[in-house]
Amino acid sequence: MSVTMLTLILLIIMIAVFVVSSIFLKSPDISMVIAGVVIAICGLIMFPELGSPVRYLVEGLFVNMDLAMLFIAASIFINIYSNSGAVSTLTRGIVKYIHNKWLLMIIMGVLMLIPGALTGAGSVSIFVLGGLVDTVFSQIGITKRRRTVFIFFFAILSAAAPPINLWTMLMTAQANMPYVGFTWLLLIPIVIAGAVCIIYCGWGAKQDKTPEQILAELPPETPGMTWWRIVLPIVAIIILFILGLYLPWGLPVLGLPLMFILAAVVAFLCNPKKTTFKEYVGIINNTMEQVFPLVANVLSIGVLQSAMAATGVRGLLGSFCVGLPLVAIYCTILIFGPIMQGCFNYGVSVVLGGPLIFMFNTLGMDVTVICAALSLIFPLGDSLPPSRIVGRLACVETGEKSYLKFFAAALFPMLVLGGMAVFMIVKPAWFAFLY
Amino acid sequence: MSAKKHVIWGSTPGRFAGKIIILVIACVFAAIAGYEFWTLRHYKEVIVVSEDLTEVKWFSDYVPSLKGTWLDTPVFIFDSGVEGGTVFVNGCPHPYEPASTVAAYLMLENIKVDKGKVIIVPRANYSGSTEGMLGDAYPMFFHVDTDFGPVKFRIGDRYANPLDQWPDPYTYVNYPSGQNLAYQDIRNLNRTYPGRENGTITERAAYAVMEIIRQEGVDIAIDMHEAEILYPVTSTYVAPAKVLDREHFEETGEMVYVEPEKSSLDIAMMAAMNIGNTFFMKSEASPNTLHGLSHREWADWSDALTFLMETPEIFIDKITGPRTEALMTEGKDHFLQVVTDKGLTYFPYEEDFGTPLWYRAGRHLSGALEVINWAGVFYPEMEVIVSWPTYTELEALENQGIDSVGAFLHDPNDPANRDRAYVIYHKPVDVDDVL
Repeated sequence: MSVTMLTLILLIIMIAVFVVSSIFLKSPDISMVIAGVVIAICGLIMFPELGSPVRYLVEGLFVNMDLAMLFIAASIFINIYSNSGAVSTLTRGIVKYIHNKWLLMIIMGVLMLIPGALTGAGSVSIFVLGGLVDTVFSQIGITKRRRTVFIFFFAILSAAAPPINLWTMLMTAQANMPYVGFTWLLLIPIVIAGAVCIIYCGWGAKQDKTPEQILAELPPETPGMTWWRIVLPIVAIIILFILGLYLPWGLPVLGLPLMFILAAVVAFLCNPKKTTFKEYVGIINNTMEQVFPLVANVLSIGVLQSAMAATGVRGLLGSFCVGLPLVAIYCTILIFGPIMQGCFNYGVSVVLGGPLIFMFNTLGMDVTVICAALSLIFPLGDSLPPSRIVGRLACVETGEKSYLKFFAAALFPMLVLGGMAVFMIVKPAWFAFLY
Repeated sequence: MSAKKHVIWGSTPGRFAGKIIILVIACVFAAIAGYEFWTLRHYKEVIVVSEDLTEVKWFSDYVPSLKGTWLDTPVFIFDSGVEGGTVFVNGCPHPYEPASTVAAYLMLENIKVDKGKVIIVPRANYSGSTEGMLGDAYPMFFHVDTDFGPVKFRIGDRYANPLDQWPDPYTYVNYPSGQNLAYQDIRNLNRTYPGRENGTITERAAYAVMEIIRQEGVDIAIDMHEAEILYPVTSTYVAPAKVLDREHFEETGEMVYVEPEKSSLDIAMMAAMNIGNTFFMKSEASPNTLHGLSHREWADWSDALTFLMETPEIFIDKITGPRTEALMTEGKDHFLQVVTDKGLTYFPYEEDFGTPLWYRAGRHLSGALEVINWAGVFYPEMEVIVSWPTYTELEALENQGIDSVGAFLHDPNDPANRDRAYVIYHKPVDVDDVL
């Protein structure tokens, strides 16, 4: 039997194991590991010269170890910061002084972008701000469904926003490309899609409550919280970023996880509330609960990636994608990209993103723009089964009962973002001036 | 009692047993993989160096702070005693490109220098050779058949081992150009030139290479690499057309590029044309704006003529079939044939022939000789008369069914060779302790 047939059989086995495992275990992460182990074993049977798969499966666990540590550290920072009362005080201040619906929505949208942009995970934006946004928006007359759409959409935008866009990071690492030049390529479509979402969600909403009534619904003011306590932790992380960029040879390399831990220490020092050691342990425990699915996901991706590489499944997919007609990709990427995101989460970067980058690179197209565009398409899949992580969280946050109706309502801004991304893929050279 | 157990374990006894089983399996995996990782990290290669050897130095002789680190490495010097030029050959800057190391070993074991001086570093990034390419499922070792049995060589990673240098910054800023590169490139020897004496250990290793070139008065500096066939620069000499005006830079900080007094690119073009009768090779100018690479920075920060050579190595292409040791040593892959047939590769790949190790190493051996010879023709004061096995000699042996690489290796256990046997490690090791 030819190598193509054998690897095709392995691919079918991989998909079958992943689907069955996902149905029974309800976990794409464990399912990815199981699929990886199964094809590694089957691969060994088909190609005995591969030798023991144990080493490369374990190696796979370390592929995204830095990302996992970044998730944990950034989430610890965000949660300590949030627990200090800074976020709720900031929200109260905004509601108190800003009475224009559109301006309020813009500011809440920008705020929602920050946690996900810093951590790479949209779910963190929902954990930190989802509840507050829901409360504020319910008071200004935005319907529950549109609130859910807003929270979901800004959460996925936050995950795609720079500086930390995990899809891009995973794709660039796989293709030996520098993770530079993505800031404006990502930000501009995000700003446009965000503006569309704000208009879409806010259109027709009538504010029937006074700011005082809204404030009464929000968490109480934190005594002792001042503007500098709110600003300082954020300034700390910004300074660390700037120092790393502009004084790279005068400082030791800190690494992103340590930078966020240092910012968390600043947030801890700025906390005006009396918080016991036990409470901090509780915050860190909760943080670990929050980020565990994401950590599991990026670690599992590495295992599957190694198994696919070793057995030739990656080669089969890659050589197939490289040979695809461009028109076929343009027409289907907006369907397959999100679907595979729903299945593999960040693993889509390896399973689909990597081969596509190879293909476009081979054709001499601007892969920096294409990589950014793909990483705007993939997050749309966070609303799709089996994982639908962000969509599910948004519904839980607002109490939205019908997932299907929420999904239908979210389609419009999603198509706007997806349409822009497809256009970037079709005409990447037009966007090269952005980096 | 059972209710208490439930609280303690957070699950039923059956599930607890399941967790214990999974934990045991994970421990077994960790133990097996850990043993393999340890084996790779501490495996010591032994070579028999030519009788023309005059001196062995270390990177730490040029940058003392490298002593005791995993980026210290031996530097072999062959001085004919006859006045002429000085050649520097850099092997294994990227350990996952093993033909570079094999070519360096074949040079070391068989070199004859009749005029001038030759300096060879066989493993410039020793640290990177002590771990695998995470997520790419590279084999740890490959074997070469010889008269005295199979000889085992390590492969390795593109980057220095994170065990030796960690964490990475969020973006790597090359010194002194200030160019932003991918974060992991801070561990990439061929992105950190010209290096810093007090930088990270990879930057210090890069600085040690620069100091070898400067202190030893190197005229011709050659860096040996391998590249994927989907990459346009495969099968290529890369040499600078222009070089940095160092005086202007030191005065103003501005990077201005000028025509060099002696042109590497002219030599590369002649070498490529001449050797084109033997195998496919082309030449390309080093971009002025891409920093950190040997073909740019060696020329900018020393007076040497610099050349980077790339051979075709399909393992790097990623979209290959099963990643076996044979794929590394023979380079026969169906998927890449499919891609080549579609006109998407930059090398006339034929699956039946593949890209065998002898072919790739042979290209480096003859490619380096060609450059050295042409440099002597262009600039007689740089003439170096040197010989080592050539591509043609290797090909002739292969045509007789002999493993040509193995045919040029010497048995370190042979008493006649014992005095010339050297252990390649990050610190001096007595050969008797290894054999």
